[in-house]
Amino acid sequence: MIQVANELPENCVLSGDICLIGAGAAGIAIALELVASGLEVILLEAGDSEPSASTQDLYAGEVVDERLHSPPDRYRQRRFGGTTTIWGGRCVPFDAIDFEVRDFIADSGWPFALSELAPYYPRANRLCEAGRFEYTAETAFEMPLPPMIENFHSSNFTANTLERFSCPTDFGARYGKKLKAARNLRVILNSNVTAIQLDAAGRRVVSATARTLTGRSFAVRCEQFVLATGGLEVARMLLANRDVQPNGIGNDCDVVGRYYMCHIAGTLGTLRVNGPLSSVRHGYDISDEGVYCRRRLALRPEIQRSRQIGNFVARLHHPRITDPAHRNPVLSLLFLSKLLIPYEYAKRLHGDDAADLKTWARHIGNVVRDPFDAVGFAWHMLRDRKLADRKFPSVIIRSKANLYSLDFHAEQQPNRSSRVSLSEQRDALGVPRLKIDWRYTAGDVDTVTRAIGLLADDFGVSGIGTFDYNAAEIESEMTRYGAYGGHHIGTARMGSDRHSSVVDAQCRVHGVANLYIAGSATFPTSSQANPTLTVVALALRLARHLERTVLQSRAALPVAGAA
Amino acid sequence: LNSLRVLVLGASGFVGRHLDLKLGGTDWVSRVAPLLNERDLAQVAAAIAASDAIVNVAAGSAANIGATARLYDLVAGAAPAPRIVHLSSMTVYGSVEGDIDEEAPLRADLGPYAAAQIAAERRAASCPNCVILRPGCEYGPGCPDWSLRIARLLFARRLGDLGSAGDGYCNLLYITDLIDAILAALRLPLHEAGIFNIAMPHPPTWNDYFMQFARHLGAVPVQRISQRRLRLETKILAPPMHIAALAARRLFGPASTPAVLSPSLVRACSQEIRLDTSKAERILGLKWTPLAEGLERTARSIIASKGS
Repeated sequence: MIQVANELPENCVLSGDICLIGAGAAGIAIALELVASGLEVILLEAGDSEPSASTQDLYAGEVVDERLHSPPDRYRQRRFGGTTTIWGGRCVPFDAIDFEVRDFIADSGWPFALSELAPYYPRANRLCEAGRFEYTAETAFEMPLPPMIENFHSSNFTANTLERFSCPTDFGARYGKKLKAARNLRVILNSNVTAIQLDAAGRRVVSATARTLTGRSFAVRCEQFVLATGGLEVARMLLANRDVQPNGIGNDCDVVGRYYMCHIAGTLGTLRVNGPLSSVRHGYDISDEGVYCRRRLALRPEIQRSRQIGNFVARLHHPRITDPAHRNPVLSLLFLSKLLIPYEYAKRLHGDDAADLKTWARHIGNVVRDPFDAVGFAWHMLRDRKLADRKFPSVIIRSKANLYSLDFHAEQQPNRSSRVSLSEQRDALGVPRLKIDWRYTAGDVDTVTRAIGLLADDFGVSGIGTFDYNAAEIESEMTRYGAYGGHHIGTARMGSDRHSSVVDAQCRVHGVANLYIAGSATFPTSSQANPTLTVVALALRLARHLERTVLQSRAALPVAGAA
Repeated sequence: LNSLRVLVLGASGFVGRHLDLKLGGTDWVSRVAPLLNERDLAQVAAAIAASDAIVNVAAGSAANIGATARLYDLVAGAAPAPRIVHLSSMTVYGSVEGDIDEEAPLRADLGPYAAAQIAAERRAASCPNCVILRPGCEYGPGCPDWSLRIARLLFARRLGDLGSAGDGYCNLLYITDLIDAILAALRLPLHEAGIFNIAMPHPPTWNDYFMQFARHLGAVPVQRISQRRLRLETKILAPPMHIAALAARRLFGPASTPAVLSPSLVRACSQEIRLDTSKAERILGLKWTPLAEGLERTARSIIASKGS
């Protein structure tokens, strides 16, 4: 059943087995997994089915350095489906090395290996509508694909791993019908959880209080509670509840909100490929299921170890859009369409730099010189992206001169000083707003610098072409658009030591018996991979744990009337 | 030993042809000559009198199902009462969702076809020695509805990944499994006669069915079909296409007109109903053809016919 909070009696108390707070990728995945369990599940969602400015404003907050991080109400959505309503859909599993303790990366290591999560990835892939859980060109495609770059051989990088693209699936729209039909599930929209009440000892959650923007409130009492509100909001909720635990829930060792990671990403250099245009295939291949798949250049784990750097991938990319010197009508058309493209994509596509009139004129000139190319591209984007249910994932421009830039996406290393905390300001419901102080380290710059250097060497050694870039510009390029938007990682990280972690291996908050965190907040490290697929896999694992926990506690209860 | 004399009603249809073939190779059965005109009551009465068992596999329109079921009235006075094996349909459960066994109430909320099936069941049940089979979606080489039509729509990329509209369960039933069920029903002792759901256990979703079938057919990559397009197909295109197909059939005989993506097919694709077939497994002793095997055989026959 799906209800709105205003339909509930004022100050009522709802009860059930499991209370899920947040109906995004994680919350909905857990709810779907629990449908068959028969357990009574209450799923509280702050937003509605449609976006609302006043609800979204509850996400607003401060950023210490606005050049390095987008405002907190960007790249995340407070509505049914959460940020899956706007995500890009890139699905990539974490690599085995991401789970390892790496002595060259401080605070690395998960409390379990990839094998613990592996059973949940195929189902997660399915929920994300990304097809079969096959992530190499050889296993995903029956017919061998031509190489990404002919004659490119590298001992440092692989060129056969894939990223697969979700539709991108809006979890609320896609699974709303199933949630509505489930008899053991109650979804309540417009439920902003403003308080999490602990018992006097601070060892159990007793209830959660939810309020609407119209002034109504109600409480939920359940055996287990799960915060699935995203990497930023989880920290805010833990920190803002200070009545029993004065530093915030689970924060007696000052870890909540720290180790905040995004990804390190940017576009760099010029790759000139020798040989015919057909020697490069940097676009999408379509799997049997109709899923767009793309190969990348991935830094091998043994090289990460031997070079003592983080995880890293790169893709062949078009030249920077903002510079009309590319003379490409399609890229100029994209520049001119700036105002039509959502902020979350426009920023990385265009940057925030203001363009002068001359730049605008040169872009218009590029389009006018070859209007057919631009019209063809516009038609392709209209048909295959705008109107399609499974959307063409990104702009792919085939270079007429075999020229490319490199688009990289790298692991950000855990850094205790990179953090989110509470601001002095409060939102409309009286909850302190967030303050974001995202920071990167020399280690992050080193990962990108050395990985790019290895790749440049490999291009040269293979004889496929040359890669020209300015090593001195790497740091400015990787921070040109700031932290990668929407990847909010590590603010309630997993581990066994409460001095460096917030939740245990089961994602349960240290010291609080019935409070769990679902989502990328729990990731101890960030990998090179986008987080959503792993968020969903981890959520499915948590669902199994919750089901077992509730059933075991029921079995342990004395039977009424028994002698 | 005397063989069982079996009369098949609806023998010219897809199931009827498969059944006739099977009965022809079954030593404990002798086939009663098929009726030339099932509306000729005198001929039907004579055939019934000469039969130990009647299998009704009549399909098609609601009118045809109703007309065939009315023949059960002729059985009422027969002594001894012949065994009736009545092939019904899972549509008798209506729009209900969930795991459904034979005790579930019948709901005539899926239009005239389902209502006709319910009425036909009631007539069949009035016969003293009756077994009712409620099959899911039979498929197999030559199956017009759930194989050939689906294949044509997959090749045309008019079916594929339907998103949430394809999350319903596709209670598939390979044609030889259905024939085995009918034969088992013919031999069932009177005290075990009753109603049986017939479909593969653990059915795929419709999306999975389309995906797997498309792979076997080579109709890949499948296409994501938007809700907008489904609405266009079912509300705008389906009615004139259906009328054109009927007209073409009347004018030119069986003609290859474009497959129709009917509203009932699209509705079925989102219905999360799973037939509980444990009773059939237990009492009729049925074994199910694995889906991959059934799809492979079906696809092979379709590809061969396209080639020829």
